[in-house]
Amino acid sequence: MEDKLLEFIREEFLEDPDQEIDIDTKLISSGLIDSFSLVSLQSYIEQEFGKRIPAPRITAESFDSIRQMVEIIKQF
Amino acid sequence: MAYSIALQKRYRDILNDIQDQGLNKEEVQITGLQGAEIHIKSSDNSGEARKINMCSNNYLGLAAHPDILKAAHEALDRRGYGMASVRFICGTQDTHKELEQRMSTFLGTEDCILFSSCFDANAAVFETLMMEEDIMISDRLVHASIIDGMRLSRASHDTYKHSDMLHLEKKLQMYHDRHGKIIVTDGVFSMDGDIAKLQTIVDLAEKHNAMVFLDDSHATGFLGENGRGSHELCGVFGKIDLITTTFGKALGGASGGCVAGRKDLVELLRQRGRPYLFSNSLAPMMTITTLQALNLIEQDDSLRKKLKQNMQWWRKELVAAGFIVVPGESPIVPIMLYDAVLAQEFAKRLFAEGVHAVAFSFPVVPKNQARIRTQLSAAHNPEHLEIALAKFIKVGKELDILGKSKEELLSMHNK
Ligand SMILES: Cc1ncc(COP(=O)(O)O)c(C=O)c1O
Repeated sequence: MEDKLLEFIREEFLEDPDQEIDIDTKLISSGLIDSFSLVSLQSYIEQEFGKRIPAPRITAESFDSIRQMVEIIKQF
Repeated sequence: MAYSIALQKRYRDILNDIQDQGLNKEEVQITGLQGAEIHIKSSDNSGEARKINMCSNNYLGLAAHPDILKAAHEALDRRGYGMASVRFICGTQDTHKELEQRMSTFLGTEDCILFSSCFDANAAVFETLMMEEDIMISDRLVHASIIDGMRLSRASHDTYKHSDMLHLEKKLQMYHDRHGKIIVTDGVFSMDGDIAKLQTIVDLAEKHNAMVFLDDSHATGFLGENGRGSHELCGVFGKIDLITTTFGKALGGASGGCVAGRKDLVELLRQRGRPYLFSNSLAPMMTITTLQALNLIEQDDSLRKKLKQNMQWWRKELVAAGFIVVPGESPIVPIMLYDAVLAQEFAKRLFAEGVHAVAFSFPVVPKNQARIRTQLSAAHNPEHLEIALAKFIKVGKELDILGKSKEELLSMHNK
């Protein structure tokens, strides 16, 4: 799951393809991902893992790193 | 009444955070007309100072244009100050209908409906028209009011990279089985001043059976041959399903907005659009004066031409002076400084020199993309722009940034 998310985020969001990210990289608070774009992640998670995370659970704080995302996805 | 200590602390903490992050917005007080020159009260209220205004949305200079003021005065006398009713009870005058007709024709659509603001128009569209089984695919840089509007809808939402047409097509393919699909974009993007690739968007929409939504707030009245907007400029006039725009910028700058589009979509907004049904009717002065703004725009293209000349001159001279300017064809001209502290300092010094232009930095724009956003107006005369340019160059020399690359600018404060 982590690897898929990593790849998706690289392709979907990063302006600079050489940018190094790992599962603990701060994505939103660092400005790499704009919090308005989280809907793209929500759709991807639904398509790829068949889990619909309710919008209120997807916030700039709760989805700031891949590790955090995975924790939330596992609850559904 | 209970405003507990805990709550007081909550709000104080948030406000302190805003302050600490340097995001606090302070309002300058203008004491006269909106225009190329404005008078601003000094912060200690001791007096006022004249500034050249490089940051209003008064693109055609109509905010204080004599014909516009005259129309507003007459409207006030003939039709009163306000309607004190929503549209469907007793808030519709013939001029509301007339303006809807005129806007619809002007924008090349079948029908049009007025709102108190374009923010309200955007708040109505998606909730009313996009249903649970639908998908809204928006450019990542659309205006905040569109984002809020989409949040109100039960439809799914996804985004594409700014103006990246390959990415948009990928998303359209991904959601090919959705019942209703809509591509959502601004015409002119307000932070960069670049124009949406509407020709490609319309082609993709046709190919993938999607509607197109366009917010043309920063284009209506001046872009394109007849000033009808970015769709006219891009050669897709008459091919947009839904257009929202504002009367609060080029069309006089007071307030009001509308949704123009397909007949049944507009009719459904009239029946179900909550910001339409549950909010007061646009004041008569606004409808009548916006009609007058359309008259001016349709009768003569001199203001439009002047705006364009100003824009071209300003862009050319800034680049020649060694500033990094985001290229484009709109009167929104961002000067890139990349570094947030540098941008703030630049704006502060400009202000002291008598030029009002605002610095934008994260989170309004991405990190390391801080800038001074300038906006041209037909109200600017050559002298205004010459003085403003001289001040930009003066401050640019003081801060030693002219001719510097992005990397050099970003490293200045990290030395
Ligand atoms: C692109 C865009 N859409 C909508 C709005 C809101 O318009 P209004 O001021 O009429 O609410 C603005 C700016 O104010 C804008 O820049």
